[in-house]
Amino acid sequence: MHLEFICNGKKVSVDVPADMRALDLIRDVMGLTGTKEGCARGECGACTIIVNGKAVNSCLMYAVKLKGKEVFTIEGLSEESGKLHPLQEAFLEEGAVQCGFCTPGMIMSAKALLDRNPRPNEEEIEEAISGNICRCTGYAKIVKAVTRAGLGNNHG
Amino acid sequence: MNYLIPETLDQALRLISSQRNAKLIAGGTDLSVQIADSLISPEILVDISGLEELKGIEEKNGFLSLGAATTIDELVSSSILPHCLVQGAKSIGSPQIRNIGTLGGNICNASPCGDTLTPLIALGGILVLVSSSARRKVRLEDFFIGPKMTVCADNEILTEVLIEKDYLQGRSAFRMTGKRSGQVISQVNVAIWLEAGKSREIEKIRAAVGSVAPVPLRLKRVEQALKGRAVHERLLKEVSELINEEIKPISDVRATDDYRRRVTVTLFRDALEEALQGFN
Repeated sequence: MHLEFICNGKKVSVDVPADMRALDLIRDVMGLTGTKEGCARGECGACTIIVNGKAVNSCLMYAVKLKGKEVFTIEGLSEESGKLHPLQEAFLEEGAVQCGFCTPGMIMSAKALLDRNPRPNEEEIEEAISGNICRCTGYAKIVKAVTRAGLGNNHG
Repeated sequence: MNYLIPETLDQALRLISSQRNAKLIAGGTDLSVQIADSLISPEILVDISGLEELKGIEEKNGFLSLGAATTIDELVSSSILPHCLVQGAKSIGSPQIRNIGTLGGNICNASPCGDTLTPLIALGGILVLVSSSARRKVRLEDFFIGPKMTVCADNEILTEVLIEKDYLQGRSAFRMTGKRSGQVISQVNVAIWLEAGKSREIEKIRAAVGSVAPVPLRLKRVEQALKGRAVHERLLKEVSELINEEIKPISDVRATDDYRRRVTVTLFRDALEEALQGFN
């Protein structure tokens, strides 16, 4: 099936099999391997991407559902110059990364939150990342990092 | 597998009545996992998540109408829905799942533990099922005939859920328990809607429990026992026994039958207490 959509600000035009997942389109066809496959059944959040402003599990979504949508993956956060997104900076500053496998999904869930609620409190952050599992269990630093990125929004 | 995206409800109805082994898909958060696990193998998926006819929450003709393709997140964010339905919607899955999962999907997936099902039974929810040639209404409490089984025919589409506006009066509450607080499937869930007097005497009540029988269950004998009476400890003991007679839990991967029995009674009492607050 043919579909066109916007990914990380660029127009994508591609043919996909009907049963292909959005996750496989992003990783295997488009080569954007920052989005991870963890559980493959919507429980771990490692595959989180943003579609029309909402965080979703790309493992549960058929690729054809991206037709006409605006999609962001972790690769779309930093600028072309290499300048990192404030969330990425905050994760580095707070040491919110251990093995790193959950990090792209965590950051995408956090971005969806900050885009609609620029200065979230701890409870709102925990709620927003409740669908993302970190098996290194580094949640405290992840919450601190998102808080930090939010506080940055106050000054910017 | 073929994937079709009709542009209108009529097109969708024609597709499912003319194609063999076609399955409706909306958010796909349950269905895609069942397909990946080879539990079902539809030849054709008909995606109805984008149909305008199935979207939105609105008041019309004395009813609150909830489109079947309304996402779970849209239920959570709504300011006009009864409390128990918002609470139930909030306890489904994760933010990512609530963003694409739909009300109609939660209902038609027909899991005994769906967290919008008990609230909608407590609220007297009516389903509108449409086929190419007919339109009929079915009460949600009559919709389920077993785990994953409903009275919805292969050529029908659930288009909307109706709640009589009378149920916007009164108060309601939902409780569930799972193995942790987020991203979890209910071991037991309970929803209660009621109207009461100032001294806690119950005037009207509807109650439902989920995940403790093959289908979500309306507790008719419990409702009868509570109607017209003031809630106090002795009555609650009587009600606990009735609950235990009405439910038929099993032991499975999520909980034992004994645990479910104990927890159902506790959750019922909690939900009842919450719904009664405000009438005191």
